[in-house]
Amino acid sequence: MDPDAIAAIRTHDDQRGLSFFGETPYVYHCHHYNLFHDQTIDDVLGEERGAQVRTAAARDAFRQLLHDCFTAARAQTPAERIDLAQSLFAAMGHGKTAIEADPDGQGRITGSHLHYGLCWREKYGQKVKRFDPVDAVTAGFGIAAIELAHRLHSGELMAVEKQCLALRDPQCEIELSRGEAPRPAEVLQKSTMRSSPAQKGLWEDQIEPIVQGLLQFLGGVAGDERGLVQAFNVFVTAHLSNYYNATIFEAMHELERTSPAVAGSGQKLFREAGHVCVFNTFGNILLSPEWESLVGPLPDDPEAITAFNLAIARSLGFGHWLVPEFEVGKRLVLRTTTNYEAPFYINRYGVADRPRCYVTEGAALAFAVLAHRVRWSSKPSLDQNFYDSLFRGAGLGWDTEVVKDQARGDDVTEIVVTKTG
Amino acid sequence: MSRSVLEQAVVGVASLKAIFITAMPDCLLYDAWQRGESDLDVSDVASYFGDLVRSNREGLKALGSWSSDMLVTIESADTLVVLQEINEHFVCGSIFDRDAPLGMVRLHLKRMVERILEQLPKIEAEERPRGVRLVEFVRRYAPDPHAAILRISVRTGLTTEQLDAAENLQDADIDKIEAAARRILGLNQINL
Repeated sequence: MDPDAIAAIRTHDDQRGLSFFGETPYVYHCHHYNLFHDQTIDDVLGEERGAQVRTAAARDAFRQLLHDCFTAARAQTPAERIDLAQSLFAAMGHGKTAIEADPDGQGRITGSHLHYGLCWREKYGQKVKRFDPVDAVTAGFGIAAIELAHRLHSGELMAVEKQCLALRDPQCEIELSRGEAPRPAEVLQKSTMRSSPAQKGLWEDQIEPIVQGLLQFLGGVAGDERGLVQAFNVFVTAHLSNYYNATIFEAMHELERTSPAVAGSGQKLFREAGHVCVFNTFGNILLSPEWESLVGPLPDDPEAITAFNLAIARSLGFGHWLVPEFEVGKRLVLRTTTNYEAPFYINRYGVADRPRCYVTEGAALAFAVLAHRVRWSSKPSLDQNFYDSLFRGAGLGWDTEVVKDQARGDDVTEIVVTKTG
Repeated sequence: MSRSVLEQAVVGVASLKAIFITAMPDCLLYDAWQRGESDLDVSDVASYFGDLVRSNREGLKALGSWSSDMLVTIESADTLVVLQEINEHFVCGSIFDRDAPLGMVRLHLKRMVERILEQLPKIEAEERPRGVRLVEFVRRYAPDPHAAILRISVRTGLTTEQLDAAENLQDADIDKIEAAARRILGLNQINL
């Protein structure tokens, strides 16, 4: 798929801070977040069921995206559609794939640089051995591509990853066969995403030009010859928020049903995913040469750093995030008139009986920590030791309270972050 | 062991760069000495040395070649590392300059270990509950250490408060922790 064709279906809604491919919402997340997210799904559901849920969620999310792409590009034949799907997947930073399938859907997907497998090996391969493959997103994507290419009903193809880079195999290989797969589930579309009117918070005059500059930069970001996006010192993906949401909420619902006593542990893990995201993705964007050329050197100023983080959130498609109140060293209020979590929840499950915007809540806390505890002018290395020193254990020093949540039916989501010690 | 004791034990060994005393079987740092400034994480080094000696001991036992006075010698690019199980409770890891003659290194080691042994406490090893040791093991080696306890919690159905007091858990719960630990760490078995 040529860059112009991708640009033609890619839009950003400035009012809502959301990004779309056609009707499909997407966000940027780095490999640190992606691996942490998937690991948490498997921790909650177990490896077998986790892979099943992740594959089905990816299938449903990519099916919608590919349907829009095929329509926009008027791709009719199986060969056209498979080629287009592979190109788009690589452009999004998920890695180059080779999809081979019979008209009845049986076949295989291979890739030597898949985002999940490669990044898992890079990040964890020297520390631990893995027993299970990691590329459920590619499996779900491949199923969706084949279903649509050969006009098959969804829910009739199964995927088994036979080889995986994370298992120290030379490449990833996913075998597809006919079988009873989870039934397709409805996903969120641009036209079905509820949101409140955008509001203005602090530092808006500073934020808006940065958002536009970042959007311009992100518009040119696409997979390299490996189909990977290596930028800001991380591997980045343009990923489908329907995937993240479907997997998080399925895992949390199941945990609440089967082990309610430890539902709090699940919530904490998904909030921690928000810390991981902000620390690695936002932090590395702030420290990048591209940022410096766009905005200038980083000051050691909590207000400026928080304004910068709001600009990053909006441009990455996280929603319209604003800070209406800020007291340096004491209190930060993060409000979202739109975020990518709540609309999905409401759409699929109805009004929640408890807060559900886990990643947003974790990100709010990370905003406070990064604003107050990092000396940005020293250009720190954002490694595991530094992460642990900021976020691990009692040294955290900040706490969150979700006072409003759009998933619970409130007009906005609002998280108050308070200094504790 | 007081700092001065370890400092005294290494007096006159110019080729020595650092020495680590690791308490077994939990591979925890007991004491360390380093020459000059260093950004080494001494706790990590001590625990890896302990693990290495334990693996080596088990391997040699499997070969029928183990003896209590074994030395593990590692020649890296710029250092010579010698690990020695100095008694059943302690491992001594010594790091020498790479060009130190092996004969001199052994001589220095013999003298240093004699001095250190005199000062080491005569301890009755406390057999801490298996659950506690498993939780500590995961905390130390999990790939995302900040999330390790939460991961065990959702995998086992045990709350973080229960895991913090793992000495009170029943055998069935400890089996669950071990299964979770194996998954998280990618190990077929855990020999604690």
